[in-house]
Amino acid sequence: MITLQLLIDALAIGAAYSLVALGFVLILNATSAVNFSQGDLVMLGGFVAVALAAYLPVPGIVLLPLVLVIMAGLGLVFSAVAYFPLRRRPPEAVFISTIAVGIILQNGANAVFGPEPQAAPALLGSGEVELGGLSIGRQSLAVIATAIVLILALRWLLGGTQFGRRLRATAQDPDMAAAVGIPVSAMIAITFALATALAGAAGALLAHNFFVTPTDGTNYILKAYIAVTIGGWGSIPGAVAGAGLIAIFEVIYPALPILVPALGRVDWSGIAFSQTTSTIVLDAIILLILLVRPQGLFGEAVRQRP
Amino acid sequence: MRWTKLGAVSLAALAVGGIDCARPALAADANVPVLVPLTGFLSVEGTSQRNGAVLALGSPPAGVKATFDVSDTGVSPEVAVNALERAVSQGPVTAVVASMLGAQVLALLPVALEHKVPLITISGTAAVTQQGNPYIFRFFPGDQVVKEAQVLFAIKQYKIKHPAVIYQTTAYGQSGHGAIDESLKKHGIEPVYEEALDVSIKDMTPTLSKAKAAGADSLLLQLHGGPTALFLKAAASANLGLPIVAGSGVSQPSTVALLDPLELKGVCGETGSSPVSAETPEMTRFLAQYRKAYSADPDSFAVQQYDGTMMVLDAVAHGAKDAAAVTAALSTNSYKGVAMTYKSDGHGDMAHSAVIICYDGQSRIPKVAMHYTEDQAAK
Amino acid sequence: MNLASPRSVNLQLLIGGIVVAIYALGFGTGYTQRVLSVAGIYALMAIGYQFIFGYAGAIALSQGAFMGLGAYVSGILSVRYGIGFDASLPFSLGLPLLVAFIVAVPVLRLQTHYFALATLIISQIILLIAIQWVDMTGGANGIGGIHPLSLLGWNVPPGQATLILIWSVVALGAAAAWQFGRGSLGQAYALMRVNSVAAASIGIDTARLRLIAFLLSSAYAGLAGAFYVHAIRVISPDVLELPVMVTCLTIAVVGGRTRTAGIVTAAVLIIELPEWFRFMQKYYLIAYGAILLLVVIAAPEGLVEAWQRILTRLRPARVAAPSRIAPIAVSWGHAAGRGDVAESPLLSLTEIRRHFGGVRALDGVSFDVAAGEILGLIGPNGSGKTTLVNIVSGIYRPDAGRVRFGGADITPLSPYEIARLGIARTFQTVALVDAMSALDNVAVARGSGRLSLRQTFSVGIDDAHLARRRGEAMGFLDLMGVADDAARPCGALAYGLRRRVEVARALATEPRLLLLDEPATGLNQSEQEDFARRMAAIVRARCTLLVIEHNIPFLNAFVDRLVCLDYGRVIAQGDVASVQRDARVIEAYLGRGVVP
Repeated sequence: MITLQLLIDALAIGAAYSLVALGFVLILNATSAVNFSQGDLVMLGGFVAVALAAYLPVPGIVLLPLVLVIMAGLGLVFSAVAYFPLRRRPPEAVFISTIAVGIILQNGANAVFGPEPQAAPALLGSGEVELGGLSIGRQSLAVIATAIVLILALRWLLGGTQFGRRLRATAQDPDMAAAVGIPVSAMIAITFALATALAGAAGALLAHNFFVTPTDGTNYILKAYIAVTIGGWGSIPGAVAGAGLIAIFEVIYPALPILVPALGRVDWSGIAFSQTTSTIVLDAIILLILLVRPQGLFGEAVRQRP
Repeated sequence: MRWTKLGAVSLAALAVGGIDCARPALAADANVPVLVPLTGFLSVEGTSQRNGAVLALGSPPAGVKATFDVSDTGVSPEVAVNALERAVSQGPVTAVVASMLGAQVLALLPVALEHKVPLITISGTAAVTQQGNPYIFRFFPGDQVVKEAQVLFAIKQYKIKHPAVIYQTTAYGQSGHGAIDESLKKHGIEPVYEEALDVSIKDMTPTLSKAKAAGADSLLLQLHGGPTALFLKAAASANLGLPIVAGSGVSQPSTVALLDPLELKGVCGETGSSPVSAETPEMTRFLAQYRKAYSADPDSFAVQQYDGTMMVLDAVAHGAKDAAAVTAALSTNSYKGVAMTYKSDGHGDMAHSAVIICYDGQSRIPKVAMHYTEDQAAK
Repeated sequence: MNLASPRSVNLQLLIGGIVVAIYALGFGTGYTQRVLSVAGIYALMAIGYQFIFGYAGAIALSQGAFMGLGAYVSGILSVRYGIGFDASLPFSLGLPLLVAFIVAVPVLRLQTHYFALATLIISQIILLIAIQWVDMTGGANGIGGIHPLSLLGWNVPPGQATLILIWSVVALGAAAAWQFGRGSLGQAYALMRVNSVAAASIGIDTARLRLIAFLLSSAYAGLAGAFYVHAIRVISPDVLELPVMVTCLTIAVVGGRTRTAGIVTAAVLIIELPEWFRFMQKYYLIAYGAILLLVVIAAPEGLVEAWQRILTRLRPARVAAPSRIAPIAVSWGHAAGRGDVAESPLLSLTEIRRHFGGVRALDGVSFDVAAGEILGLIGPNGSGKTTLVNIVSGIYRPDAGRVRFGGADITPLSPYEIARLGIARTFQTVALVDAMSALDNVAVARGSGRLSLRQTFSVGIDDAHLARRRGEAMGFLDLMGVADDAARPCGALAYGLRRRVEVARALATEPRLLLLDEPATGLNQSEQEDFARRMAAIVRARCTLLVIEHNIPFLNAFVDRLVCLDYGRVIAQGDVASVQRDARVIEAYLGRGVVP
């Protein structure tokens, strides 16, 4: 049934975008730095999955932990190169360093993997699954399940472990955290590793159904930035909510004439629900949220402190 | 001391210009810079251009020595212009293999006019040969030709009456869409559904469903390679059951590599020529040459860029000594290339035929289902 | 002249630029000239970006869109209506200005990242319109055959002439930007960047400053766009895409946010850099990215700052004794001694209520401050003292109640309006511009109500207005006993001195009422006594004083009356002795701090 399929599609895409946005927000919270290369890291994750699959012909679910580990390692390198040298400098410098890394990643991927779109292996096999007479995409389900597992794991890590508490303390007040003996630099580096791993996971998950191309990065960073800002700058549930909103506008809104047949019968439904209009409506909603509730959906009320 | 500081600054400033100043002009029969998009969203097509051009320049006809410099033009017009200016400043240029990105070609036209060098490209955008510029030579059939072929085939093969037109919001997509609509109108058909997709759109299901719900009996696509593959995948898994005639995106080997042959069953598409179908001995030879050089399959962009470059080298082999002579040769002569025979129609359109390829569901190598030649008299 | 001083560095860069120009014009190929022309166009856009991003300190992501608007207007007018580059200039600048103005109203008040996203979304919408409105804009294919640059009918040939034209305009634009930031206006922006609330508290209309900056940015961008489209001869949506904005941002950061000369240098560098690596074919952008990374790590505050630092290390500055500026006496604009305006209290608070979330910070506070008196506002932490002062100075609106000043209701006014009416204040955390001297920090307050573009652009090299303001500021620094440190940057001053500079700045607005927020914090015993003595002497003759403190012995020395708050209510008011002995006051403080 088309409705179910569309919903599952939207969930899968939203879940993947959530991972991207979460990575973005983690770095933001820990360092107040905006990571402009988050989207390119997603692309990198996709290519890492593609590259691994060339040597290890196994299902994607087996490759995924490898992708996470490799990306985490690259995340440490990334923090050493783009963040730590500029730690006590004006924040704009980190914009530029992450932009530069993004350029290197995008063109590096083009040089190493070629400009063609490539597909990563499916997590648990492609094709459809029969559930009570309805056929649903296997990969979509696997993506949703994997993303949920990763998000829950992140939540447990941050909320339920000593390690996670230290990470949060570092994010909240680095000076105070250092004062109580938390190794702040190590915590920040680990945060980068986590964020990059999440980006890599998103890339690996998306790259089977939707392929990966070196130029994908710009699109993903735009979505992450939007998701985090309308969700509430720095809010973790906000990032997930924002990502969900974007996925809804990507999949559900253009399909409204199908989901609600009455809408499909209206004369102007062609234009009103086209993909282009969907983008415009989403943009208008974002502006509305910014104007009416500038702190975002989940953000704290913004107060000026004298 | 202050003067040494000033001296240092001056030297640095000189270095700015110095690094990009002319390399010694080489004594060669043909200097053909290759300025194509190797990065950015058209890099697949640009790489095809590069491969085809370099293959030709690397094995020129007897008696011709070819030198060439490959430079990336990215996506913006001004980068392309910079690349051309640089190429021209490094010594006499015989011809230039130019990026196929419409806006970049348009930006290059005035520069080509100023320096009087011919541009050899495979851009399909209509406007490119409508500027009245005598230095543009397009070796790929224009959109009016390939889209007419696409529509004609759809009518002949599937007797379409209510097509849905799905196109990309890029230059390629919009230009093709315009040509499709014109062709349909000529045959008295109006699309029942049209949708413009951004390249970043991942899920094709909403578009597919809406097209079907609008009563479409066929789908005409004008999408880039990746989105074409996504669309065909979605259509296959939705068991759409409607005939699909796609654009050149479906002819690119990189697109086909992403699909299972079953997903391609019954899918047809237009393109200038189909090297992998190896219809002629020349094509078979070219195919082998290309595969040996690049370990990959060529698409029609590659083979036709190869042809265009070869036509230049052929002109040089027959005595054209400089850019002016080459331009004259390109404007007046006809040339039998690997993919087809090329002759200028006076505006710089050299290629006047297209093919429709179809996949049978068992192989990734398509068969040519229809040859189409532009009705010159009707122009 | 000191080799490492900003003036000297500007001169060095100017000379370097002239050398490059001579080379490019005399010996350069068409290619050299073309790349430098493109660099000039980006320089113009980036100099414009300096206003909103550098001076106003706001991350706007709309600069590329404004350039695109200017480009589209100029291109469409050229190709559809035959209107040349020069004749279409009013429109190529006009449309971006109009859009900027419309957008500014709702969007400029947003905080950093929300503002950035709002401007980004607006840019994306403009891009979508350009792609979809095929009939007008040519859609994604754009329109070719735009006429070349022309001035009064004369077609400017590409190469030398275009280069000279573009860079002449860049020079003018750079000079204007430099002049803009040079004097009191630049100082006002500097304070606004550091702390916009503090800027408002000395009467700076921050919203207006931000608007001016945003409009100037859009105008420069539109001009750059007009040049772009006639130089490239084609208009396509590519000019509206994100990479153009990213390049502009990169140039602005690498050049140094407020250093015009640096931005021009950075523009040349960023545009030239990829060209140098062309020989690497498809790897060339990797090299560009790597170099960019190295540059930003080596010079995170900007190229010019880094260059200055190198020069300082090579040639340490001879620290000359700064010439003593003669203080210019200021007669306060009003007589505010005791017994003045006796018929009504100067400040009157009636039933002020304010809550934050579930917490009732103020629950019906009413009291008066008589003209010429010194009133102390005390209460334990969290009793609402600072909230009350924030309401009086206009930072918060009360949920209920009225604030009257000299009889007039000031409750709905914004902070800068209240400041201009004569209420000045200090803050718990001293808000000064560390990079500026103490003298300049106070001088900003002397002109804040009279900042104007006309004045900014009419001063010569020797800024007479600034000199007078500095002289007047000297007088106020003298009053607070920090005249000796006038020339030192505030970042280098000890905490106690910074406090006094901040008070001097507040006094420099000639207020009728001065609000001091916990001035004794961080001061040692002798500093406190000195402060109290000084305040008593200054204030008694000039204005009324409301001091918030929880350190009662400090207040003892100089206040006339006390008002005590607890849990957002007035629990006692009267003379010092009786309030100190009040049982409720003692109970409020019990277990929470120092009890006298």
